[in-house]
Amino acid sequence: MNGKERVMAVLNHQKPDRMPCFGANSTVTYDQMEKVQAFWPEGHQKGEVMAKQALAAYTVLGFDAVRVPFCQTFEAVALGCKYKPGKSVAGGEGIPGIEHPPPYKLDDTPIYPDDFLTRGSIPELIKAVKILKKEVGGEVLVVAGIIGPFTIAGSLLDAVPILKATFKAPDKIRPFLEVAEKAGTTLAKALIDAGADIISCEDMTASPELIAPKTYRDLELEYQKRQFDAIHVPKILHICGNVDGIVEWMGQTGADILSLEPKASARLAREKCGPDIILMGGVDTATTLFMKDADTVRRGCEESIADGIQILAPGCAVAPGTPTENLLAMVEVAKAH
Amino acid sequence: MRYLDDFSNIFKRYDLDLEVHGEAREVSKDATLQAIAKFVVEGNDEGILAAVQKALETKSPLDVINDALIAGMNEVSRLWDEGIYFLPQVILSADAMSIGIAECEKKMGKAMERKSTVVTHTAEGDIHDIGQVIANALLNANGYNVVNLGADVPVEKVVAACKEHRPVMVTGTALMTTTMTAFPKIAHQLQSVGLNIPFICGGGAVCEEYVTSYPLGIWGKECSQAPGMAEDATEGESWEAMRAKWNG
Repeated sequence: MNGKERVMAVLNHQKPDRMPCFGANSTVTYDQMEKVQAFWPEGHQKGEVMAKQALAAYTVLGFDAVRVPFCQTFEAVALGCKYKPGKSVAGGEGIPGIEHPPPYKLDDTPIYPDDFLTRGSIPELIKAVKILKKEVGGEVLVVAGIIGPFTIAGSLLDAVPILKATFKAPDKIRPFLEVAEKAGTTLAKALIDAGADIISCEDMTASPELIAPKTYRDLELEYQKRQFDAIHVPKILHICGNVDGIVEWMGQTGADILSLEPKASARLAREKCGPDIILMGGVDTATTLFMKDADTVRRGCEESIADGIQILAPGCAVAPGTPTENLLAMVEVAKAH
Repeated sequence: MRYLDDFSNIFKRYDLDLEVHGEAREVSKDATLQAIAKFVVEGNDEGILAAVQKALETKSPLDVINDALIAGMNEVSRLWDEGIYFLPQVILSADAMSIGIAECEKKMGKAMERKSTVVTHTAEGDIHDIGQVIANALLNANGYNVVNLGADVPVEKVVAACKEHRPVMVTGTALMTTTMTAFPKIAHQLQSVGLNIPFICGGGAVCEEYVTSYPLGIWGKECSQAPGMAEDATEGESWEAMRAKWNG
């Protein structure tokens, strides 16, 4: 089986030749950039460079999918947030973010621009997916990332105001979630048209480490459901941190795959979400993949598999300084299962 | 004065049925102080000012601060530690407490006496300052003077602030592995200017092994540890002793 067939087998609840391994989030590292001679900051904003970097997941690491993009700014910038370029950190280039202050206050009415898909670097992201589809679309899966409604709304309002509003004025967040959902869904459809096989939705701010589980259920769930209803390819939902308190509802969003960090319980996810949901995850990206050695990575992977993970993956976005041998160790473990 | 007459629903949060169940405890037998504490516990930053002003007609500002505002915030810390409260509630409660403290300080004609000074920051290149926001709230609630440098703070600015304010300790928050590399630089610069103060580092990607790999570094696993660490630092414990105590 090639990578694409392998992942599709898991998605179709068939037995693959061995466990697939790829990332729901960014897996680009400085070392991979050197190997493929494509670097940040261009990789965040130029389609050709972005595709070249994403290809490293297949050509350098041997992952079963390639994924773009490598930051969480595309939708937010297109909706009016100010782009904050990644700073040079320790010899490499950092990951871009959103500049303060945010464009909106809670009482404002957010605007969805008609030319959304032509704003910011979105055309370059679409171009990168087209290149990836053409280059390796028959061999490995092309994963395109979008950002979840609550996280985009958080960029539009800033973290502290939106967190306060979850308790003080939750209904005022709804117009922002409407616009954010529409942005993510529209981007997802454009990326599917460009050749994406899977949509991976990251919703970091919806983590129970930031908002109460009740807020996720009452405020975010309906927008996430609406988004996934409108996307007609397999969907991955990734929420950072320990999601035990919300995993039941994550399973109700319409996601085909839940991407979990090791601090979340895969066993609980299986128990709460039933046999149909596919679980991906593996090792902690900071404390294990970035900081430790290949043996520790292997042990972390084995623990995750024992807990019920079906697709081996970094638990979250890979730190750019992560050693290649640690990522290769993941593939090695996948090959043995 | 409805808040003084109606205690029937005090400290019950019916909106938290999905989380760990629990109720806030009574923090004062005095009805006036208890009512103020309730505003803090419920994160009500609109009602607290009038309640504090009313209380100050009969109570001393320090009593209101210590026995209502800080006592209420301590209760919030407990509810958060136990998983009953979540981050938004802690932030709202800290806001309510700050409004109350400002009013008491106005009445006193001076700032409330603080135990000691702590400098807090979020690493350069990192705008994810939620951890710092919580640490600030808890340190404030426990009577420390917090010099809040905010998010995305350059190494040099952290060191300059420490030289200026002479804190008993400094904290750094980083979500990303790319930004936490600023911490050892800060530690070395602090040492080079003779400021051997404990440097508490924490946040999403930050782990014990990393933080204890450079001098002054002490890993802060949870924000809730911040007041306890500040207490140790105020008592003059060295960074080595604090590392031995708080880290493995």
